[in-house]
Amino acid sequence: MNEKSLPVRLKNFTLGLGVALAFVYLFLPLLTHSCGILDRMSVYLDKNGIDPSRYYYTDVEQVREGENYLRFALEEK
Amino acid sequence: MAQESNVVVDHGKSQWSDLWKKEDYLAIWLGFIIIAVSILAYTTFGPKAEFAEKITGLSQVQQAELDKAPFKTIAWHNAQDDKGKLKGTSTPFGKFMTQWVTKPGSWKSNPLDAVIRTEAQAQALNEKGMAKYEEAKGNLEMALAAAVAAEGAAAGASFQDQALNDEAASKISAWRDAHKAAGDAKKKVDNKPYNKIPSLIGLCVFLAAIFGVGIAMMGKSMPAFMQGFVVVFLVAILAYLLGGQAISKQYGFGAEAWGVVLGMLIANTLGTPKWVLPACEVEFFIKTGLVLLGAEVLFNKIVAIGIPGIFVAWVVTPIVVVVTYTFGQRVLKMPSKTLNIVISADMSVCGTSAAIATAAACRAKKEELTLSIGLSLVFTAIMMIAMPAFIKAVGIPEILGGAWMGGTIDSTGAVAAAGAFLGQKAMYVAATIKMIQNVMIGVTAFCVAVYWVTKVETGESGKSVGAGEIWHRFPKFVLGFIGASIIFSIMDAGMDKDLSKAVLSSGIVSGGTKLLRDWFFTLSFAAIGLSTNFRELAKYFKGGKPLILYVCGQSFNLALTLTMAYIMFYVVFPEITAKI
Repeated sequence: MNEKSLPVRLKNFTLGLGVALAFVYLFLPLLTHSCGILDRMSVYLDKNGIDPSRYYYTDVEQVREGENYLRFALEEK
Repeated sequence: MAQESNVVVDHGKSQWSDLWKKEDYLAIWLGFIIIAVSILAYTTFGPKAEFAEKITGLSQVQQAELDKAPFKTIAWHNAQDDKGKLKGTSTPFGKFMTQWVTKPGSWKSNPLDAVIRTEAQAQALNEKGMAKYEEAKGNLEMALAAAVAAEGAAAGASFQDQALNDEAASKISAWRDAHKAAGDAKKKVDNKPYNKIPSLIGLCVFLAAIFGVGIAMMGKSMPAFMQGFVVVFLVAILAYLLGGQAISKQYGFGAEAWGVVLGMLIANTLGTPKWVLPACEVEFFIKTGLVLLGAEVLFNKIVAIGIPGIFVAWVVTPIVVVVTYTFGQRVLKMPSKTLNIVISADMSVCGTSAAIATAAACRAKKEELTLSIGLSLVFTAIMMIAMPAFIKAVGIPEILGGAWMGGTIDSTGAVAAAGAFLGQKAMYVAATIKMIQNVMIGVTAFCVAVYWVTKVETGESGKSVGAGEIWHRFPKFVLGFIGASIIFSIMDAGMDKDLSKAVLSSGIVSGGTKLLRDWFFTLSFAAIGLSTNFRELAKYFKGGKPLILYVCGQSFNLALTLTMAYIMFYVVFPEITAKI
């Protein structure tokens, strides 16, 4: 891997980074805006401040809301 | 061979000096020091007593209102709102922590927005949202006036007239909806200027120092670590930056995924400089992060939605883990047991956090963790979109759909997104089921560690092992993880629910342990990337068995979760479902 010259390595890095960035910042937005269901989801997530990349319950505000709602709903007779 | 299997291996290599020399113990000490500081800052030296007094007063108001009327009155809700304003993070220590343990934020089109926002930019953002906020405020005032009038009418009849009571409850419910909408609109006009660069520099120095001390105690070079740490930290910052973009977040590509991608790109193209490698202490970062995560694993949460929640999250999940692992070993004949169990736990428990905990518990290779999380991210993005669409198309009830998604979609954020897309109640149920599953990772990590040390590793050596050897091999950090979880669960159970929210969740955790936990995991993924070879990673994917394992396991998970959710919520406990 490190046998290649610096310009070649730099070129490979730039290409690789470029592909990754293009996928996320060009392809995905294009896909989102051209597909109705994805576009609606995008608008909805933005409007409601939901972050799908968060993986644990303490990182997600909606879990707190849900917990609060269920606590009082289930306490009622 | 038969003679060898009769030999008990009991080298008893553990020594007292392990307590201050071994990585697992150092992860525990570092994690517990952070936990202790956070607990002291928010309890003994913090607002606990003051919050307790205020909450007692507000609870008395609420009880008086409940005794007066057969529904939750405006005063009851106002008291609940006042309780919600009590947060540990609003204290001076909380503000200090949130300012100095910061990370790059969200952005849409300009990545610099993630680290710097000027006064003018903040003002422009506030002005943009002002019209909607004014409208929401107006609606709120009207809704409140209607609610006051309706409650007044009900009170006029001493709350004996059912029709007036129902009308009052309905108007109050409408007022609460308007209250939430106004609260959401207010967030968009509450933008403040910031500059996170000084905080990030300070944090880099702090983290380099605390981990550096641990490195030195392990007998490694602290200067070499601190030198390389700057690069690992920079990659983590870039990962936060890239993962903070709106579209990237929407598809689940957060800081962790970008940390691995960026790190691997650097490692496999430019080449990670040799002087950076001493700072790629993946396991040390992960183990310390897991001890802190223990503070968020509260066992009391499992009853949040009653027995149905326990069955969907804690009965189905272990069955799916065991069946998937067995399928992987017996049918697919996965060459790597550790990869098998990490994928099984990742898919059936709760995604990335379960994968991290399980991988550390069974000492999986970092490539196996990377592959498992990569699989999870791809399928999470697909399921987050496909499941609510399918549920709506087929006409599955909201509660059932929410429970199904909560028990099957891997990441909590994606569960919330999918649930919200289906409906508010679906989101509440989905997110709560997922929370109950999240709590399972402590038990999962412990059970995997015990199983691995007593059965898998001894099975491979063909020899019996004694207790001393088992103790020596046991990943000790798991004890720190479980210990933190037990301590916090006891604290949570011993406090009033509202006080626990104000001091524990919104103080010790949100303003202490969670801030650092998040960084430690991001650093670990950056370090994984910087020390991973593409060819090594590709080797684990050969034959497509990991993909087949995930798909088969998830299919079984989907079928079993739906069946259990239906039985629990609609056959055995329909009264719980009716209340929701």
